[in-house]
Amino acid sequence: MAPFDTLNAAWMVWDNPAPASGGAVLEYTRELEKFLAEIERRAFRMAQVALRDQDDALDVVQDAMLKLTRSYASRPSAEWRPLFYRILENGIRDLQRRRTVRKRVMTWLPGPKEDPDNEAQDPLDNVADAAPAIPEKLMQAQAMEQLEQSLRALPARQREAFMLRNFEGMDVAETASAMACSEGSVKTHYSRAVHALREQLGEVW
Amino acid sequence: MSEQNDKAFEMRSRALFQDSVEGLDYAVRSRLTQARSAALEAAATRRPWALGWKRWTPAAGVTAAAILGVALWVGLPLHHQAGTLADAQSNFEDLDLLASSDEGSADALEMLQDDIDFYDFADNAANPGPAA
Repeated sequence: MAPFDTLNAAWMVWDNPAPASGGAVLEYTRELEKFLAEIERRAFRMAQVALRDQDDALDVVQDAMLKLTRSYASRPSAEWRPLFYRILENGIRDLQRRRTVRKRVMTWLPGPKEDPDNEAQDPLDNVADAAPAIPEKLMQAQAMEQLEQSLRALPARQREAFMLRNFEGMDVAETASAMACSEGSVKTHYSRAVHALREQLGEVW
Repeated sequence: MSEQNDKAFEMRSRALFQDSVEGLDYAVRSRLTQARSAALEAAATRRPWALGWKRWTPAAGVTAAAILGVALWVGLPLHHQAGTLADAQSNFEDLDLLASSDEGSADALEMLQDDIDFYDFADNAANPGPAA
C-alpha cells in the first residue's frame, strides 16, 4: 500500500471508528511526527534568517506546527510541506508587520529610543569563545552570516522563493503552492533573488 | 558561464545553510522537539473531540427534530386546538340533543325556535328602545 493510501485509510478509520483503528492511527501519527522532525530545523533556520531573532523564530515554527496538525493533518502527506511553509511564511509576515507597527508607535512615545542597528544583538554574541574556532568553520560561519544579511535585504517574495527552492529543495510547483502564486512568478522571483544575491555578495564570496 | 556561476553559487549557499542547520545547538533542538510534541499532542486531543461530535450528530439531529415535532404538535397550537375541540364537542352534543328528542326532529326544531323568541323578548325587555 502506498504511503498516501495508508494515511487516508488511517484517517478514514479514525473518522469512522472500528475495532482495529489503533494501529492505523498510530501509523498516521508517526508519519506526521516524522515529517515535522525532518523539516523543523530547516524551518527554524529560515525563520531565523527572516526574523533575526531566535525566540521569534521558535515561536513561528511552533505555531506553524500547531496549525498544520490541527487544520491540515487530514490532507495527503504530499501537501504538508507546501502547506507548512505557507503557514510559516504567513507567521513571519505577521510578526514583521507587528514589529513595524510597534516601531512606529515607539517613535511617537517619549523615552529612550531603540537603536535599530542593535535591535536583535545579543550581548553574548560579543563574548569570545573559550575554544578557538577552526578557521574553516569560522569562514563558513562568516559566509553564512553574509548570505543571511543579503537575504534580509531582498524583497520578501524573492527571499521566500530563494529559501524554499534552494534551502528547502522544493521544486517549482511545490514552491508555487507554498507561496500561493504561479510557477512563472516563482521562477521570476528566484532568478531575481539569485542575481541580487550574487551582486551583493560579489564574486569573492 | 554565468549559468555555471549561478549553479556554483546555489550549491555553495545550500551547503552553508545545511551546515548551519546541522550546527544548531542543543537548546534549540530541544525546544523544537518540545514544539513538535506539543503540536502532535494538540492534534491528538482535538481528534477525539471531533470524533465525538461526529458520532453524536445523527442522534442530536433526531432528538432535535423530535422535540420540534412535539412542540409543534402539542405546545404551539394548544389553546387553539383545545378551543376547536371543545366547540366541536358542544355542537355535536346540541345536535345529538335535537336528534334524540323524543318528540321527533320537527318538535325539537320548534322548541329551538321558541327559545330564540324568548331570548329576543328578554333582550328587548332589558334594553327598551325609544317609544314608537
